[in-house]
Order: sequence, then C-alpha cells, then structure tokens
Amino acid sequence: MPLLAYIIILPVIAAALCLMFKRAAAALAFVMSVDALFMAFSLFTGGRQELPLLSLQAYPLNSGIYLVAALIVLLTVLYSLKFIGRHERLGEYYGYLMLALAATAGALFAEEFLMFFLFWGVMGLALYLLIGIGGKKAAGAAQKTLIILGGSDLLMVAGAGLVWIMTGRMEMGGTLLAVNNPLALAAFLLLLAGAFAKAGVMPFHSWIPAAAEGAPTPVMALLPAALDKLVGVYLIVRISLDIFLITPGGTASLILLAVGSFTIIAAVLGALLQHDLKKLLSFHAISQVGYMVVGIGTGLPVGVAGAIFHMFNNALYKSALFFCSGSVERQTGTTEMKKLGGLGQKMPLTFAAALIASLSISGVPPFNGFVSKWLIYQGIIEGGQANQLWIIWLMAAMLGSAFTLASFVKLLHATFLGQGAELTAKAREVEWPMWLPPIILAALCVIFGVFAYQLPLRYLILPAFARFIIPGIWDPGLATSMLGVGLALGLLIYLLGNVRSVTQRPAFYGGEILPEETIKVTGDDFYDTVKRIRPLEQIFKIAERKVFDLYEVSRVVVGGAAKIASRIEEKIWPMF
Amino acid sequence: MQSLKLLFDYLIFPGFLFCAVAGLLATWVDRKVTARLQYRVGPPWFQPFADIAKLLGKETIVPEGVSRSVFLGAPLVGLAGVTLVGTLLWLVSLNLGQTFVGDLIVVMYLLTLPSLAIIIGGSASRNPLAAIGASREMKLILAYELPFILACATVIFRTRALQLGEIIGWQMANGPLFWSFSGFLAFAAALFVIQAKLGAVPFDIPEAEQEIAAGPIIEYSGPALAVIRLSRAMLYFILPLFLTVLFLGGFDAWFPAKYLAVLTLIILIKNTNPRLRIDHALRFFWGPVTIAAAAGFILALLGK
Repeated sequence: MPLLAYIIILPVIAAALCLMFKRAAAALAFVMSVDALFMAFSLFTGGRQELPLLSLQAYPLNSGIYLVAALIVLLTVLYSLKFIGRHERLGEYYGYLMLALAATAGALFAEEFLMFFLFWGVMGLALYLLIGIGGKKAAGAAQKTLIILGGSDLLMVAGAGLVWIMTGRMEMGGTLLAVNNPLALAAFLLLLAGAFAKAGVMPFHSWIPAAAEGAPTPVMALLPAALDKLVGVYLIVRISLDIFLITPGGTASLILLAVGSFTIIAAVLGALLQHDLKKLLSFHAISQVGYMVVGIGTGLPVGVAGAIFHMFNNALYKSALFFCSGSVERQTGTTEMKKLGGLGQKMPLTFAAALIASLSISGVPPFNGFVSKWLIYQGIIEGGQANQLWIIWLMAAMLGSAFTLASFVKLLHATFLGQGAELTAKAREVEWPMWLPPIILAALCVIFGVFAYQLPLRYLILPAFARFIIPGIWDPGLATSMLGVGLALGLLIYLLGNVRSVTQRPAFYGGEILPEETIKVTGDDFYDTVKRIRPLEQIFKIAERKVFDLYEVSRVVVGGAAKIASRIEEKIWPMF
Repeated sequence: MQSLKLLFDYLIFPGFLFCAVAGLLATWVDRKVTARLQYRVGPPWFQPFADIAKLLGKETIVPEGVSRSVFLGAPLVGLAGVTLVGTLLWLVSLNLGQTFVGDLIVVMYLLTLPSLAIIIGGSASRNPLAAIGASREMKLILAYELPFILACATVIFRTRALQLGEIIGWQMANGPLFWSFSGFLAFAAALFVIQAKLGAVPFDIPEAEQEIAAGPIIEYSGPALAVIRLSRAMLYFILPLFLTVLFLGGFDAWFPAKYLAVLTLIILIKNTNPRLRIDHALRFFWGPVTIAAAAGFILALLGK
C-alpha cells in the first residue's frame, strides 16, 4: 500500500490501540508520532504523489504542512509524558491525539470535498473530546467549540454544494471561479466560514479563549495553536487560490483584507488586557491568523507566500508559548499573571524559549515572525496600486505588531522578569521532556528567521508559486551576523570597563525598606492607561458585552439557531 | 575581502566609531545649547567622552536575584541594533545603488530594538520604579507607532519605493519631499516621533528623573550604563539622519546644514516644553500628530 494510505491508517490503528490498552498508551503514541514524522519526511522529499482510490494527493505545500504538523504532534506527546503524567483518562487522551493526527493528514491530502469533510469533521471531534478531558471546568468550552465548529461545518457543506451546482465538480480546486456574482460570493463566504471557525478568525473566534481556560495546556499547544491553524489556513489558501480566483482589489480580496485587519486589531486589544497567561496566548492565537488572512487577501504571490510562511511560523512560536505556559502552570500551580514573577532565573530554559518565541511573534528582527510579516507588508504595499485602502490594512498589520509586542512585554515582565512572588519562590526548572519541546521550537524560530530564504521559503513555500518578486530588501543572514558583531563589540566595551568586579545590592527605590509585596509591580496593570484613552474605552466597553462574539450574538439574536445545528450534529456524529 | 570590508563598515566607518563620535558630539551640542538657554556656561566639547570613560571605570552593581545575562545583555542588543541602523543608513546614503541588509520597513523595525532593550533590561532589574518606567516606554512606542506608520507610508506612496536608495534617488530627481504639503506634514509628525524615540523632553516620561529616578535604567551602573548612554548618543546622530533621508533628500553638500537644522528643532522642542504625562502623550500622538500624518497621507493620495 502506498505511503499516503499508511499516513492516515496507522494513526487510526494507534488511536484504537491507545483506547484499548491504557497502560501502553503513552509509549504507543510516542512510537506512532516518531513514525509519523519519518513518514512525513519521506513523503515531503518524495515529491508529488497520488492515491486516486481515496482521492488523496500530496504535493510540496501540503506535505510540508504535514511535516510541521507531525513534528508538533511528536513534541506534544513528548511534553505530555510529564505534563499529563498519570491521568485516569490517559488512554483516551493519547487516543484522541492520534485521531487528530490521522484527521490532519486526511484533511491536508484530500482532493475532494466529501473526503475532506469527513477528516475535517473528525478533527473537530478530536478537538472537542480533547478539550473535554480537562474535566468539569472544560465542559462548557467543549460544548461551545462543538457548536461553533459544527455549525460552521454545515455552512461549509452548503458552500461546497453551491460550488458543485456551479461547476458540477466535487474536486477541491482546478475550478478558479471568479467571485463576481451573488452565487459565487455566497459559496465563497460559506466555505470561508468553516475555515475561519477552525482557524479562529473573528467573529468565529470565541471558542479559543474559552477552551484555553479548561483544556489541558498541551491540547492548546497542539490544536488551536498549531494543527487547526495549519489546516484552517491551508483551506483558506485552497479556497482563495484553487477553488476561487482572487484578483487584487476585487470583492473577495477586500473581504479577506477587512476581516483579517479587524481580527488582528480586535484580538490583540483583547490580549492586551488579559490577566491570565493562557487566555492572553489564546487571543494571540486569534490575532495572528489575521495576518495570514490579510496576506492571502492581497491576492499577490508575495503576500500569499508571506501568509503561508506566517502560518508555519505561528505554529512554531505559538506552540512553544503554550508549552512554556504549561510549564509555568505545573511548577507554580497558577497561570494568573498577578501571582507570578521572577521565574527567569529559576526556569532559565523555559524562559529562554519563551523569550525567543515572544520576540518572534512580536516581529522583532531577525526572528522568523519578522520575515513573514515583512513579506505580508510587501504584499499590502504592492497591492496598493490596485486599491487606495491599502493604508488601512498596513496600519492594522503594523500597529497590531506593536500591540503584540506590548502584550508580550507584559507577559514576560509578569511571569519571568520583574519581582518574585510567593508562588514562584520555590519553583524549579521543569524536567527535560517539558523543556525540550519549547527549546526545539524556539531554535526553529531562530533558524526560520535567519535562514529564511535558504530553508523555509525555498523548500516549504516557494515550490507552490510560479512567479515571485519581492520589491524590498531583507538580508537576515547579513543582519544577524552584523548584530552578532555588535554584541561582541559591546562585550569588548564591557571588558574594557570594569565589568569583572560585579557586586550585588538590593534594588534601590528611595531609601525606605518596604516589604516586597507592597511595592511589587505585577505588570498586570501595565496598560490600564491605554484602556482609558477615549475611543478605546468605549470600544472595550462594547466588547465586554460580547458584541464582537458571533457565538453570543447568535445565541441572543437568532435564539439558538446554532444550538439546533449542534443538535443535528450531535445526532450525526455517532454515526461515524 | 568582502566580509572584511563589511566589518570595517560596521565597526569603524560609517558604522560604530563614526556614529559614536558624531553622536557624542551631538549630545554635546544639545547640552551646550541647553545650558546657554538657561544662562549657564555648559560643558566643554569632550565632556560626553569623559563621561563614558568615567562610567567604564566604575563598579558594576547588579541588583540581587536578577538574571545577569538578561540584565547585562539587554544594553548590548540595543547597541548592536543602533549600530546596524547607522551603518545601513550611511552606506545607502553614500552609495544609492547599494542594497544593504534592508529597506524602510526593516529600518522601522530595527529602530525599536534600542527601546526594547531598555524595556527588557529595566523589567529584568526587579525594581518597581524600573518596571513602571519600562511600561511607560512600551506605551510610548504604542503611542508614536501609529503616526510613524502613516508618515513612512506617505514616503512610500509618494516615491513608490521601499528601498532607501530609491527614496533618496526619487528626491534627487523631484526635489525633497519636505517641500510639499504632504511631505511637510509627514515630516512634522515624524519629528515628534523622533523626539519620543530619543526619550527627549517632553517625552522623557519613561525616565522622568525627578519622579521615578531614571526608570528602566535606575539599576544600571558602570560599563552597562556607559553602553546605554553611548547607544542613546548614537541615536542623536542616526535619527536626524533618518529624517534627512526620508524627507530632506539625503546626503549631499547641504547635509551638515540639514542635519543641524533637525538637531536644532529637537533641542528647541526639548527646551521649550515641560514633560507630558503618559496618558497625555498617548492622546497627543493618537490625536493631533496622527491627524496631521493622516492629513499628509490624504494629500499625498491627491498628489500634493
């Protein structure tokens, strides 16, 4: 049997075995995910492959995505060995992880709508079940997730139906429909709704923050941060490049740009005011997709390439950040930023990974997030020739980047830097299965940034494009070596000076000795001044009433249409 | 050979050494003019150099319980970033055809490195005053980023170029952007942004000596403080150069006059305004400055 079949069937078998043999589940899942990584690698290096029987097809883009997905599954399993430890539902946990792995492969390689919907649905189901493992506090979040994803799946099926009516084809792609009539527009929007919900684009986002509160942290690192993004954004790319034809400045392009820009800004403003580590990260899991949607929305090769690159980068740093937050949670027992602080010295490896991932997500050169954002900006600016609104998209994207930096400054200060706290006093570094995954991902963030052209762009992204022009210049290799020389120069200045005789003194704040808890700046309230600036204050008040949350709105306005959808879904699921 | 040339460019001319000497002299001009305005004599020209030399000889004091690599490493990142921007701007100014490291967007991002270094260093120093200062520095970035994007976008739109060499080239052919309505408004907005990036009055809110005792750099001493001071001084040379490149036509025979004019404007603003409060600074940048920059951009769309 060909590799493409194994890649789906083996994890399903592994999932079944995990469910049956609870004791061996961890080992089984580990072996399976190592094997999946090997299979992904040989598939990736093997070039284009087809399996017409199940209408599966592998080409550089989707096998590249699967390679990254398999890597993150492996790291998640490794991380879970210590994080989950001995859970009473261990068999289910690893079983569902393997189910998610299989479904990801299926959804990525499927070339036909029916096949795709099957795997896409299983992926949502696995997510629902995995969130549910978080116990009672996760039950509501799991239900919300199921309703949003299930409801939007129905919309997507309707969209595929419209495509079938227009073209008579069930293949995903090769149709290149122009979005210039109401029917095509409806099909485009319906298909997008499904992709948006999975990827977490506003207004279908609200399941992610809800899940962040209850779900086990590795589940957050795996699904909403990585797999759902990879598959969801992959679908947006397919919809926008293969099924429909997006012309720069056209309706479809404007819709994507507007939704993407709104998602970037609204979610990042939400992130700025969070008090909980995992919730803050979950808002960034929404905001970052905005960049990908904007990049695809430009309809230009450079923007789309930037979006795909950003999708890979996001999977790397967002998973790393969720892993780090899980490690903090495990060592201190909390993720409330008010109660944390000063962990940088106690958990140096976790801190190093969190610092690199934070700088990457904030788009600080020379890390990977900068390169992909930079490509997206190039796309926006180049697209400016077709439409005067480009400045709005550019402002949203670049300002969003500054706000991202701000919220990560808050996270780093509150958690790893700043003064210590009661809960962090006795914290120690986590064991290697928990620090190694974020360190590997952080190292990849650096590599993807510094060798952007030599590695990710060349092997993962550019094969998908025929023609490619970048108007600007960014030479990450040269810039990094120059920055390195600069660091060495600074070190030399230190050594010229009197840096070897270091003395330690207590921090000075005005002569009076006060107990540390009375003078602690937690970082939790860093941006309260920003919150009180006039237009923002009103916006935040409106947002508190959940007006931007389609889930809440539809619950109130439509009076439970989504619930009906979920009931239908619940009836349908058991049949699979 | 090529890499030796680059190393020379970066370390000696037009990179570190050149920018450091010029920057320290610029801070001397600043101190001297400020002193004269306040009826004082002011320091001799070598005072900034003597200050750095003195700091290098001082003891390094590190607050208890900090992660030393972060605390002492952060200033170095700032220095490396400033030097890279300086080298980039000069190399492109001296040879328009040269493509070195990055374009305008890259420069915009590299210019946040010095502020970020200060924030991380201050945050790492476990001092409540430093934490307050660091949060203010970050809020200041949020404040000026919006008009800064608009001002740079105006330049990009007018010149249809992202590369700095092309931006200067366009101005050589069509006259400096400053002499047009849109260019002037963008320049004015960018000038305030530069003022804030320098941490000069009225935007010295993060350091606010009299209030939070130098904020994020309160715990720094000796060589680390010397590196921070040096980076700040280099910015005094590099940021006005950046404005010159974007709006005044870059490096030519008139460069000294253009540079001194920008520097004088900065010193004038500094000496005629009291420090703002952070929320006032946010309102100022998101209000009048952004409106001016947006008006500039709209005028650019109309071709003015």
